Amino acid sequence: MIQDYLFFTGINVLLAWSVYIILMSGSLSFANGGFMALGAYATGYLTTTYGLDLWLVIPPVALLAALFGALVSLPALRTRGVYLILVTIGISICMGVGIESSEALGGVKGMGGLVGTEPWHVFVLVGVVGLFLLIVSYTPLQRILDAVREDEYVARSLGINTTYVKVVSFGAGAALAATSGALYAHYLIFIRPEHFNVMMSLFMVLYVILGGVNNLWGAALGATIMTLAPEFIRGMAEWRPTVFGLIIILLLLVRPQGLLAFRTRTARAGTRVAKWVQGKLVPGGAAS
Amino acid sequence: MKMALSLTNVCKRFGGVTALDGVSFDVAHGELLGLVGPNGAGKSVLVNVVSGFYPLTTGSILVDGRDVTYAPPHHFGRLGIARTFQNIRLFKRMSVLENVLVAFPRHVRSPFGSILRWNRRAEIDHALALLSQMRLVEKADQSAGSLAYGEARRLEIARALATEPKLLLLDEPAAGMNDRETDELRADISDLRSMLDAIVLIEHNVEFLRGLSDRLVVLDYGRMIADGVPDIVLKIPAVVEAYLGAAEDA
Ligand SMILES: Nc1ncnc2c1ncn2[C@@H]1O[C@H](COP(=O)(O)OP(=O)(O)O)[C@@H](O)[C@H]1O
Ligand SMILES: [Mg+2]
Repeated sequence: MIQDYLFFTGINVLLAWSVYIILMSGSLSFANGGFMALGAYATGYLTTTYGLDLWLVIPPVALLAALFGALVSLPALRTRGVYLILVTIGISICMGVGIESSEALGGVKGMGGLVGTEPWHVFVLVGVVGLFLLIVSYTPLQRILDAVREDEYVARSLGINTTYVKVVSFGAGAALAATSGALYAHYLIFIRPEHFNVMMSLFMVLYVILGGVNNLWGAALGATIMTLAPEFIRGMAEWRPTVFGLIIILLLLVRPQGLLAFRTRTARAGTRVAKWVQGKLVPGGAAS
Repeated sequence: MKMALSLTNVCKRFGGVTALDGVSFDVAHGELLGLVGPNGAGKSVLVNVVSGFYPLTTGSILVDGRDVTYAPPHHFGRLGIARTFQNIRLFKRMSVLENVLVAFPRHVRSPFGSILRWNRRAEIDHALALLSQMRLVEKADQSAGSLAYGEARRLEIARALATEPKLLLLDEPAAGMNDRETDELRADISDLRSMLDAIVLIEHNVEFLRGLSDRLVVLDYGRMIADGVPDIVLKIPAVVEAYLGAAEDA
Protein backbone atom coordinates (compact mmCIF):
# COMPACT_ATOMS: atom_id res chain seq x y z
CA MET A 1 0.00 0.00 0.00
CA ILE A 2 1.25 3.43 -0.91
CA GLN A 3 0.29 4.66 2.55
CA ASP A 4 2.61 2.12 4.16
CA TYR A 5 5.51 3.16 1.95
CA LEU A 6 5.02 6.78 2.80
CA PHE A 7 4.77 5.95 6.48
CA PHE A 8 7.96 3.88 6.51
CA THR A 9 9.74 6.50 4.45
CA GLY A 10 8.76 9.13 7.01
CA ILE A 11 9.90 6.96 9.91
CA ASN A 12 13.21 6.27 8.20
CA VAL A 13 13.74 9.96 7.49
CA LEU A 14 13.20 10.68 11.19
CA LEU A 15 15.59 7.89 12.16
CA ALA A 16 18.20 9.15 9.70
CA TRP A 17 17.85 12.60 11.26
CA SER A 18 18.27 11.09 14.72
CA VAL A 19 21.66 9.81 13.56
CA TYR A 20 22.41 13.11 11.80
CA ILE A 21 21.68 15.14 14.95
CA ILE A 22 24.31 13.15 16.83
CA LEU A 23 26.69 13.31 13.88
CA MET A 24 26.37 17.10 13.84
CA SER A 25 28.58 17.19 16.91
CA GLY A 26 30.94 14.60 15.45
CA SER A 27 29.86 11.23 16.86
CA LEU A 28 28.70 8.34 14.73
CA SER A 29 26.04 6.50 16.73
CA PHE A 30 25.07 2.92 16.13
CA ALA A 31 22.96 3.03 19.29
CA ASN A 32 19.88 4.62 17.72
CA GLY A 33 18.21 1.26 17.09
CA GLY A 34 18.47 0.79 20.84
CA PHE A 35 16.97 4.23 21.53
CA MET A 36 14.22 3.42 19.04
CA ALA A 37 13.49 0.17 20.88
CA LEU A 38 13.37 2.06 24.16
CA GLY A 39 10.77 4.42 22.72
CA ALA A 40 8.73 1.62 21.13
CA TYR A 41 8.66 -0.66 24.15
CA ALA A 42 8.33 1.98 26.86
CA THR A 43 5.38 3.65 25.16
CA GLY A 44 3.95 0.28 24.12
CA TYR A 45 4.07 -0.96 27.69
CA LEU A 46 2.35 2.15 29.01
CA THR A 47 -0.38 2.23 26.36
CA THR A 48 -1.20 -1.48 26.48
CA THR A 49 -0.79 -2.22 30.20
CA TYR A 50 -2.20 1.01 31.61
CA GLY A 51 -4.31 2.11 28.68
CA LEU A 52 -2.58 5.49 28.64
CA ASP A 53 -2.90 7.79 25.66
CA LEU A 54 -0.02 7.51 23.17
CA TRP A 55 0.39 11.30 22.97
CA LEU A 56 0.54 11.51 26.73
CA VAL A 57 3.33 8.97 27.05
CA ILE A 58 5.55 10.03 24.14
CA PRO A 59 6.94 13.22 25.77
CA PRO A 60 8.07 11.62 29.05
CA VAL A 61 9.46 8.59 27.20
CA ALA A 62 11.33 10.87 24.78
CA LEU A 63 12.73 12.71 27.79
CA LEU A 64 13.73 9.42 29.37
CA ALA A 65 15.47 8.41 26.15
CA ALA A 66 17.25 11.77 26.04
CA LEU A 67 18.55 11.23 29.57
CA PHE A 68 19.53 7.67 28.73
CA GLY A 69 21.27 8.83 25.55
CA ALA A 70 23.10 11.56 27.43
CA LEU A 71 24.09 9.10 30.13
CA VAL A 72 25.50 6.47 27.80
CA SER A 73 27.24 9.13 25.73
CA LEU A 74 29.32 10.20 28.72
CA PRO A 75 31.52 7.10 28.81
CA ALA A 76 31.13 6.68 25.05
CA LEU A 77 32.54 10.15 24.34
CA ARG A 78 35.68 9.36 26.27
CA THR A 79 36.48 6.87 23.56
CA ARG A 80 37.12 7.88 19.99
CA GLY A 81 36.71 6.72 16.44
CA VAL A 82 36.19 3.02 16.11
CA TYR A 83 35.90 2.54 19.88
CA LEU A 84 32.97 4.93 20.10
CA ILE A 85 31.33 2.97 17.28
CA LEU A 86 31.85 -0.29 19.16
CA VAL A 87 30.42 1.17 22.37
CA THR A 88 27.30 2.36 20.56
CA ILE A 89 26.88 -1.02 18.83
CA GLY A 90 27.13 -2.56 22.29
CA ILE A 91 24.28 -0.35 23.50
CA SER A 92 22.07 -1.56 20.64
CA ILE A 93 22.86 -5.19 21.40
CA CYS A 94 22.28 -4.79 25.15
CA MET A 95 18.93 -3.16 24.50
CA GLY A 96 17.83 -6.05 22.30
CA VAL A 97 18.99 -8.68 24.77
CA GLY A 98 17.32 -6.81 27.63
CA ILE A 99 13.98 -6.77 25.84
CA GLU A 100 14.24 -10.42 24.79
CA SER A 101 14.72 -11.49 28.38
CA SER A 102 11.95 -9.32 29.79
CA GLU A 103 8.67 -11.10 30.52
CA ALA A 104 6.78 -7.85 30.95
CA LEU A 105 7.77 -6.69 27.47
CA GLY A 106 6.79 -9.97 25.83
CA GLY A 107 10.35 -11.27 25.42
CA VAL A 108 11.12 -12.90 22.07
CA LYS A 109 7.40 -13.43 21.46
CA GLY A 110 6.85 -9.72 21.05
CA MET A 111 4.32 -7.16 22.18
CA GLY A 112 0.96 -6.66 20.50
CA GLY A 113 -2.10 -4.45 20.55
CA LEU A 114 -0.27 -1.27 19.72
CA VAL A 115 -2.44 1.23 17.89
CA GLY A 116 -2.86 4.95 17.54
CA THR A 117 -0.39 6.17 14.89
CA GLU A 118 -1.73 7.56 11.62
CA PRO A 119 0.70 8.22 8.75
CA TRP A 120 0.01 11.96 8.93
CA HIS A 121 1.36 12.04 12.49
CA VAL A 122 4.72 11.01 11.07
CA PHE A 123 4.51 13.52 8.22
CA VAL A 124 3.82 16.32 10.69
CA LEU A 125 6.81 15.27 12.77
CA VAL A 126 9.00 15.12 9.65
CA GLY A 127 7.89 18.67 8.88
CA VAL A 128 8.53 19.95 12.40
CA VAL A 129 11.93 18.31 12.81
CA GLY A 130 12.96 19.29 9.28
CA LEU A 131 11.97 22.89 9.88
CA PHE A 132 13.85 22.92 13.17
CA LEU A 133 17.01 21.54 11.55
CA LEU A 134 16.64 24.02 8.71
CA ILE A 135 16.42 26.94 11.14
CA VAL A 136 19.40 25.63 13.11
CA SER A 137 21.46 25.51 9.92
CA TYR A 138 21.34 29.32 9.77
CA THR A 139 22.13 29.99 13.42
CA PRO A 140 25.39 30.30 15.34
CA LEU A 141 24.63 26.89 16.85
CA GLN A 142 25.26 25.24 13.49
CA ARG A 143 28.71 26.83 13.35
CA ILE A 144 29.53 25.69 16.83
CA LEU A 145 28.45 22.14 16.01
CA ASP A 146 30.49 22.25 12.81
CA ALA A 147 33.50 23.44 14.77
CA VAL A 148 33.15 20.66 17.34
CA ARG A 149 32.80 18.13 14.56
CA GLU A 150 35.72 19.40 12.49
CA ASP A 151 38.26 19.95 15.25
CA GLU A 152 37.08 19.26 18.76
CA TYR A 153 40.33 20.43 20.35
CA VAL A 154 40.38 23.77 18.60
CA ALA A 155 36.70 24.25 19.39
CA ARG A 156 37.48 23.65 23.04
CA SER A 157 40.35 26.11 23.01
CA LEU A 158 37.94 28.77 21.76
CA GLY A 159 35.96 28.20 24.95
CA ILE A 160 33.32 25.78 23.69
CA ASN A 161 32.33 23.14 26.23
CA THR A 162 32.58 20.34 23.69
CA THR A 163 31.52 17.59 26.09
CA TYR A 164 28.31 19.43 26.90
CA VAL A 165 27.59 20.03 23.20
CA LYS A 166 28.13 16.38 22.37
CA VAL A 167 26.10 15.07 25.30
CA VAL A 168 23.15 17.30 24.46
CA SER A 169 23.25 16.32 20.80
CA PHE A 170 23.38 12.64 21.80
CA GLY A 171 20.37 13.19 24.04
CA ALA A 172 18.45 15.00 21.31
CA GLY A 173 19.19 12.26 18.77
CA ALA A 174 18.12 9.58 21.26
CA ALA A 175 14.86 11.42 21.98
CA LEU A 176 14.05 11.62 18.28
CA ALA A 177 14.89 7.94 17.72
CA ALA A 178 12.66 7.00 20.67
CA THR A 179 9.79 9.14 19.41
CA SER A 180 10.10 7.54 15.99
CA GLY A 181 10.14 4.14 17.66
CA ALA A 182 6.94 4.94 19.52
CA LEU A 183 5.16 6.03 16.34
CA TYR A 184 6.50 3.03 14.44
CA ALA A 185 5.37 0.55 17.10
CA HIS A 186 1.85 1.98 17.31
CA TYR A 187 1.48 1.66 13.56
CA LEU A 188 2.79 -1.89 13.29
CA ILE A 189 0.40 -3.11 16.05
CA PHE A 190 2.84 -5.91 16.86
CA ILE A 191 6.54 -5.53 17.57
CA ARG A 192 9.37 -7.95 18.27
CA PRO A 193 12.91 -7.32 19.48
CA GLU A 194 14.38 -8.08 16.05
CA HIS A 195 12.62 -5.04 14.62
CA PHE A 196 15.21 -3.02 16.50
CA ASN A 197 18.34 -5.10 16.10
CA VAL A 198 21.80 -3.88 15.23
CA MET A 199 20.90 -3.96 11.51
CA MET A 200 18.31 -1.28 12.17
CA SER A 201 21.01 0.93 13.72
CA LEU A 202 23.28 0.19 10.78
CA PHE A 203 20.62 1.15 8.22
CA MET A 204 20.00 4.51 9.87
CA VAL A 205 23.71 5.30 9.67
CA LEU A 206 23.80 4.15 6.05
CA TYR A 207 20.94 6.48 5.09
CA VAL A 208 22.96 9.41 6.37
CA ILE A 209 26.28 8.37 4.87
CA LEU A 210 24.78 7.59 1.47
CA GLY A 211 22.68 10.74 1.43
CA GLY A 212 25.41 13.08 2.68
CA VAL A 213 26.54 13.96 6.18
CA ASN A 214 26.77 17.74 5.92
CA ASN A 215 23.14 18.82 5.69
CA LEU A 216 19.67 17.71 6.69
CA TRP A 217 18.64 17.01 3.08
CA GLY A 218 21.22 14.28 2.58
CA ALA A 219 19.89 12.18 5.44
CA ALA A 220 16.31 12.64 4.22
CA LEU A 221 17.19 11.76 0.63
CA GLY A 222 19.26 8.76 1.67
CA ALA A 223 16.44 7.42 3.83
CA THR A 224 13.87 7.98 1.08
CA ILE A 225 15.88 6.28 -1.64
CA MET A 226 16.87 3.35 0.51
CA THR A 227 13.28 2.83 1.66
CA LEU A 228 11.59 3.15 -1.73
CA ALA A 229 14.18 1.83 -4.19
CA PRO A 230 13.97 -1.82 -3.12
CA GLU A 231 10.18 -1.58 -3.50
CA PHE A 232 10.50 -1.00 -7.23
CA ILE A 233 11.51 -4.59 -7.71
CA ARG A 234 8.50 -6.02 -5.95
CA GLY A 235 7.63 -9.55 -6.87
CA MET A 236 11.24 -10.55 -6.57
CA ALA A 237 11.20 -10.47 -2.79
CA GLU A 238 14.22 -12.73 -2.54
CA TRP A 239 16.31 -10.21 -4.49
CA ARG A 240 15.53 -7.23 -2.32
CA PRO A 241 18.43 -7.54 0.11
CA THR A 242 20.75 -8.01 -2.87
CA VAL A 243 19.46 -4.88 -4.56
CA PHE A 244 19.77 -3.01 -1.30
CA GLY A 245 23.38 -4.10 -1.00
CA LEU A 246 24.12 -3.23 -4.62
CA ILE A 247 22.70 0.27 -4.21
CA ILE A 248 24.95 0.83 -1.20
CA ILE A 249 28.06 -0.34 -3.06
CA LEU A 250 27.17 1.64 -6.17
CA LEU A 251 26.54 4.87 -4.26
CA LEU A 252 29.71 4.53 -2.25
CA LEU A 253 31.70 3.99 -5.42
CA VAL A 254 30.12 6.79 -7.42
CA ARG A 255 29.64 9.36 -4.66
CA PRO A 256 31.65 8.48 -1.58
CA GLN A 257 30.91 11.94 -0.17
CA GLY A 258 27.17 11.20 -0.25
CA LEU A 259 24.51 12.32 -2.70
CA LEU A 260 24.15 15.82 -1.24
CA ALA A 261 27.51 16.79 0.17
CA PHE A 262 27.13 20.57 0.32
CA ARG A 263 27.27 22.53 3.52
CA THR A 264 25.06 25.58 4.00
CA ARG A 265 26.81 28.78 5.05
CA THR A 266 25.50 30.01 8.38
CA ALA A 267 26.27 33.63 7.50
CA ARG A 268 27.44 35.71 4.57
CA ALA A 269 29.09 39.08 4.35
CA GLY A 270 27.81 39.55 0.79
CA THR A 271 27.73 43.16 -0.30
CA ARG A 272 29.08 44.36 3.02
CA VAL A 273 32.53 43.19 1.94
CA ALA A 274 32.55 45.80 -0.81
CA LYS A 275 31.67 48.52 1.69
CA TRP A 276 34.62 47.50 3.83
CA VAL A 277 36.93 47.38 0.88
CA GLN A 278 35.87 50.86 -0.21
CA GLY A 279 36.58 52.04 3.31
CA LYS A 280 33.01 53.14 3.99
CA LEU A 281 33.13 51.28 7.27
CA VAL A 282 36.19 51.73 9.42
CA PRO A 283 37.74 48.98 11.54
CA GLY A 284 36.66 49.28 15.12
CA GLY A 285 33.87 51.70 14.29
CA ALA A 286 31.24 48.99 13.95
CA ALA A 287 32.58 46.75 16.68
CA SER A 288 29.76 46.03 19.09
CA MET B 1 51.77 43.01 41.15
CA LYS B 2 49.45 40.77 39.14
CA MET B 3 51.02 39.46 35.98
CA ALA B 4 49.26 38.80 32.70
CA LEU B 5 50.76 35.31 32.80
CA SER B 6 52.83 33.66 35.44
CA LEU B 7 54.42 30.23 35.13
CA THR B 8 55.98 28.58 38.15
CA ASN B 9 58.17 25.53 37.77
CA VAL B 10 56.13 24.12 34.90
CA CYS B 11 57.03 20.56 33.94
CA LYS B 12 55.50 18.51 31.18
CA ARG B 13 56.48 14.92 30.53
CA PHE B 14 55.26 12.60 27.79
CA GLY B 15 56.17 9.15 29.06
CA GLY B 16 59.95 9.31 29.16
CA VAL B 17 60.25 12.60 27.25
CA THR B 18 60.55 15.71 29.37
CA ALA B 19 59.29 18.45 27.07
CA LEU B 20 59.24 21.18 29.73
CA ASP B 21 61.56 21.00 32.68
CA GLY B 22 60.91 23.52 35.44
CA VAL B 23 60.02 26.56 33.37
CA SER B 24 59.25 29.72 35.35
CA PHE B 25 58.66 33.17 33.97
CA ASP B 26 56.15 36.00 34.06
CA VAL B 27 54.63 38.10 31.34
CA ALA B 28 53.73 41.59 32.50
CA HIS B 29 50.68 43.54 31.39
CA GLY B 30 51.31 45.24 28.09
CA GLU B 31 54.33 43.11 27.32
CA LEU B 32 55.21 41.31 24.12
CA LEU B 33 57.32 38.34 25.05
CA GLY B 34 59.34 36.49 22.45
CA LEU B 35 59.77 32.78 23.06
CA VAL B 36 62.67 31.32 21.13
CA GLY B 37 64.68 28.16 21.00
CA PRO B 38 65.77 25.49 18.54
CA ASN B 39 63.36 22.96 17.10
CA GLY B 40 62.10 20.53 19.72
CA ALA B 41 62.94 22.92 22.56
CA GLY B 42 59.40 22.72 23.93
CA LYS B 43 57.97 26.03 22.69
CA SER B 44 54.82 24.53 21.20
CA VAL B 45 54.35 22.31 24.24
CA LEU B 46 54.47 25.45 26.36
CA VAL B 47 51.73 27.04 24.28
CA ASN B 48 49.71 23.84 24.50
CA VAL B 49 50.04 23.80 28.26
CA VAL B 50 49.16 27.48 28.70
CA SER B 51 46.15 27.17 26.39
CA GLY B 52 44.78 24.11 28.16
CA PHE B 53 45.52 21.60 25.42
CA TYR B 54 47.73 19.48 27.64
CA PRO B 55 47.43 19.19 31.40
CA LEU B 56 50.80 19.92 32.94
CA THR B 57 52.70 17.35 34.95
CA THR B 58 53.74 19.66 37.80
CA GLY B 59 53.92 23.37 38.45
CA SER B 60 51.32 26.10 38.21
CA ILE B 61 49.94 28.64 35.76
CA LEU B 62 48.37 31.94 36.78
CA VAL B 63 46.54 34.10 34.29
CA ASP B 64 45.93 37.62 35.49
CA GLY B 65 46.45 36.35 39.03
CA ARG B 66 44.00 33.48 38.62
CA ASP B 67 45.18 29.92 39.06
CA VAL B 68 44.19 27.99 35.96
CA THR B 69 46.46 25.00 36.55
CA TYR B 70 43.56 22.62 37.02
CA ALA B 71 40.92 24.45 35.00
CA PRO B 72 39.00 22.38 32.44
CA PRO B 73 40.34 22.91 28.90
CA HIS B 74 37.44 25.04 27.66
CA HIS B 75 37.90 27.51 30.52
CA PHE B 76 41.22 28.71 29.17
CA GLY B 77 39.58 30.36 26.20
CA ARG B 78 36.92 31.89 28.42
CA LEU B 79 39.55 33.29 30.77
CA GLY B 80 40.99 35.28 27.92
CA ILE B 81 43.71 33.04 26.48
CA ALA B 82 43.71 32.68 22.71
CA ARG B 83 46.21 31.01 20.48
CA THR B 84 47.23 30.13 16.97
CA PHE B 85 48.77 26.88 15.79
CA GLN B 86 52.13 26.09 14.30
CA ASN B 87 50.32 23.62 12.03
CA ILE B 88 47.40 25.71 10.88
CA ARG B 89 44.12 24.44 12.29
CA LEU B 90 41.31 26.40 10.72
CA PHE B 91 37.79 25.09 10.24
CA LYS B 92 38.40 24.44 6.56
CA ARG B 93 34.83 23.62 5.65
CA MET B 94 33.61 26.98 6.90
CA SER B 95 33.99 30.33 5.22
CA VAL B 96 36.59 32.84 6.35
CA LEU B 97 33.84 34.92 7.95
CA GLU B 98 32.40 31.93 9.78
CA ASN B 99 35.80 31.06 11.19
CA VAL B 100 35.74 34.40 12.97
CA LEU B 101 32.04 34.36 13.90
CA VAL B 102 32.32 30.94 15.50
CA ALA B 103 34.67 32.27 18.16
CA PHE B 104 32.49 35.09 19.50
CA PRO B 105 32.15 34.60 23.26
CA ARG B 106 28.38 35.13 23.35
CA HIS B 107 27.73 32.00 21.32
CA VAL B 108 30.66 30.01 22.60
CA ARG B 109 29.41 30.30 26.16
CA SER B 110 25.84 29.23 25.47
CA PRO B 111 25.82 27.24 22.23
CA PHE B 112 22.22 26.08 22.49
CA GLY B 113 20.96 29.50 23.46
CA SER B 114 22.38 30.64 20.16
CA ILE B 115 19.47 28.98 18.32
CA LEU B 116 17.55 32.07 19.31
CA ARG B 117 20.29 34.45 18.25
CA TRP B 118 20.46 35.10 14.57
CA ASN B 119 23.40 36.54 12.75
CA ARG B 120 23.13 40.16 13.63
CA ARG B 121 24.50 42.64 11.19
CA ALA B 122 26.54 44.21 13.98
CA GLU B 123 28.16 40.87 14.58
CA ILE B 124 29.06 40.40 10.95
CA ASP B 125 30.50 43.91 10.93
CA HIS B 126 32.53 43.12 14.00
CA ALA B 127 33.89 40.02 12.27
CA LEU B 128 34.63 42.06 9.15
CA ALA B 129 36.50 44.58 11.29
CA LEU B 130 38.72 41.82 12.62
CA LEU B 131 39.21 40.43 9.12
CA SER B 132 40.00 43.88 7.83
CA GLN B 133 42.58 44.29 10.56
CA MET B 134 44.26 41.09 9.37
CA ARG B 135 43.89 42.22 5.72
CA LEU B 136 41.45 39.45 4.85
CA VAL B 137 38.17 41.28 4.46
CA GLU B 138 37.98 40.69 0.70
CA LYS B 139 38.12 36.97 1.34
CA ALA B 140 35.26 36.96 3.86
CA ASP B 141 32.93 34.74 1.86
CA GLN B 142 35.60 32.39 0.55
CA SER B 143 36.09 28.95 1.98
CA ALA B 144 38.80 28.92 4.64
CA GLY B 145 40.26 25.87 2.93
CA SER B 146 40.97 27.93 -0.19
CA LEU B 147 43.26 30.45 1.52
CA ALA B 148 46.93 30.73 0.72
CA TYR B 149 49.32 29.78 3.47
CA GLY B 150 50.03 33.28 4.76
CA GLU B 151 46.35 34.20 4.64
CA ALA B 152 45.43 31.11 6.62
CA ARG B 153 47.93 32.14 9.30
CA ARG B 154 46.37 35.59 9.49
CA LEU B 155 42.88 34.11 9.69
CA GLU B 156 43.99 32.10 12.69
CA ILE B 157 44.96 35.36 14.35
CA ALA B 158 41.62 36.96 13.44
CA ARG B 159 39.79 33.96 14.90
CA ALA B 160 41.85 34.19 18.07
CA LEU B 161 41.03 37.90 18.36
CA ALA B 162 37.32 37.12 18.04
CA THR B 163 37.44 35.41 21.44
CA GLU B 164 38.23 38.83 22.91
CA PRO B 165 41.42 37.59 24.53
CA LYS B 166 43.65 39.27 27.04
CA LEU B 167 46.60 37.04 26.29
CA LEU B 168 47.45 35.95 22.76
CA LEU B 169 49.85 33.08 22.09
CA LEU B 170 51.25 33.01 18.56
CA ASP B 171 53.05 29.81 17.59
CA GLU B 172 55.44 30.61 14.73
CA PRO B 173 53.00 32.86 12.87
CA ALA B 174 55.57 33.72 10.21
CA ALA B 175 56.51 30.13 9.40
CA GLY B 176 56.35 29.50 5.67
CA MET B 177 55.87 33.17 4.77
CA ASN B 178 58.10 34.99 2.31
CA ASP B 179 60.06 38.12 3.29
CA ARG B 180 57.39 40.60 2.28
CA GLU B 181 54.63 38.69 4.07
CA THR B 182 56.85 38.39 7.13
CA ASP B 183 57.42 42.14 7.25
CA GLU B 184 53.70 42.81 6.87
CA LEU B 185 52.90 40.33 9.62
CA ARG B 186 55.40 42.03 11.86
CA ALA B 187 53.53 45.30 11.40
CA ASP B 188 50.20 43.53 12.01
CA ILE B 189 51.43 42.07 15.28
CA SER B 190 52.76 45.41 16.33
CA ASP B 191 49.29 46.90 15.73
CA LEU B 192 47.66 44.18 17.83
CA ARG B 193 49.45 45.27 20.96
CA SER B 194 46.94 47.97 21.74
CA MET B 195 44.07 45.44 21.65
CA LEU B 196 45.67 42.94 23.98
CA ASP B 197 46.92 42.76 27.48
CA ALA B 198 49.95 40.67 26.51
CA ILE B 199 51.36 38.64 23.65
CA VAL B 200 53.61 35.61 23.70
CA LEU B 201 55.20 35.19 20.30
CA ILE B 202 57.10 32.08 19.33
CA GLU B 203 59.48 32.56 16.51
CA HIS B 204 62.35 30.51 15.27
CA ASN B 205 63.89 33.46 13.50
CA VAL B 206 65.30 35.82 16.13
CA GLU B 207 65.63 38.69 13.66
CA PHE B 208 61.83 38.76 13.48
CA LEU B 209 61.69 39.37 17.21
CA ARG B 210 64.46 41.93 17.47
CA GLY B 211 62.85 45.31 17.91
CA LEU B 212 59.38 43.75 18.18
CA SER B 213 59.55 41.97 21.50
CA ASP B 214 60.17 43.63 24.83
CA ARG B 215 61.75 40.55 26.28
CA LEU B 216 63.00 37.15 25.18
CA VAL B 217 62.74 33.81 26.92
CA VAL B 218 64.97 31.12 25.47
CA LEU B 219 64.17 27.44 25.79
CA ASP B 220 66.51 24.58 25.03
CA TYR B 221 65.63 20.94 25.67
CA GLY B 222 62.66 22.03 27.79
CA ARG B 223 64.76 24.22 30.07
CA MET B 224 64.81 27.96 30.24
CA ILE B 225 68.33 29.06 29.45
CA ALA B 226 67.78 32.82 29.29
CA ASP B 227 65.23 35.53 30.07
CA GLY B 228 65.82 39.19 29.38
CA VAL B 229 66.08 42.08 26.94
CA PRO B 230 66.66 40.80 23.37
CA ASP B 231 69.96 42.53 22.72
CA ILE B 232 71.50 41.12 25.86
CA VAL B 233 69.93 37.66 25.67
CA LEU B 234 71.10 37.12 22.11
CA LYS B 235 74.70 37.66 23.21
CA ILE B 236 74.63 35.03 25.97
CA PRO B 237 77.04 32.25 24.91
CA ALA B 238 74.61 29.42 25.80
CA VAL B 239 71.94 31.02 23.59
CA VAL B 240 74.34 31.55 20.71
CA GLU B 241 75.45 27.95 21.05
CA ALA B 242 71.90 26.57 21.15
CA TYR B 243 71.13 28.54 18.00
CA LEU B 244 74.31 27.78 16.13
CA GLY B 245 73.83 24.11 16.97
CA ALA B 246 70.32 24.27 15.56
CA ALA B 247 71.52 26.11 12.48
CA GLU B 248 74.06 23.40 11.78
CA ASP B 249 71.35 20.75 12.09
CA ALA B 250 69.19 22.53 9.60
N1 LIG C 1 51.99 15.01 22.22
C1 LIG C 1 53.28 14.70 22.40
N2 LIG C 1 53.63 13.46 22.79
C2 LIG C 1 54.93 13.13 22.98
N3 LIG C 1 55.94 13.98 22.83
C3 LIG C 1 55.67 15.24 22.44
C4 LIG C 1 54.33 15.66 22.21
N4 LIG C 1 54.34 16.96 21.84
C5 LIG C 1 55.64 17.33 21.83
N5 LIG C 1 56.43 16.30 22.21
C6 LIG C 1 57.89 16.36 22.34
O1 LIG C 1 58.22 17.49 23.09
C7 LIG C 1 59.40 18.09 22.61
C8 LIG C 1 59.16 19.55 22.34
O2 LIG C 1 58.36 19.71 21.18
P1 LIG C 1 57.81 21.11 20.68
O3 LIG C 1 57.26 21.87 21.81
O4 LIG C 1 56.89 20.83 19.56
O5 LIG C 1 59.10 21.83 20.12
P2 LIG C 1 59.22 23.28 19.48
O6 LIG C 1 60.05 24.07 20.45
O7 LIG C 1 59.95 23.08 18.20
O8 LIG C 1 57.87 23.83 19.30
C9 LIG C 1 59.82 17.31 21.38
O9 LIG C 1 60.85 16.41 21.76
C10 LIG C 1 58.58 16.56 20.99
O10 LIG C 1 58.89 15.34 20.40
MG1 LIG D 1 56.81 24.25 17.70
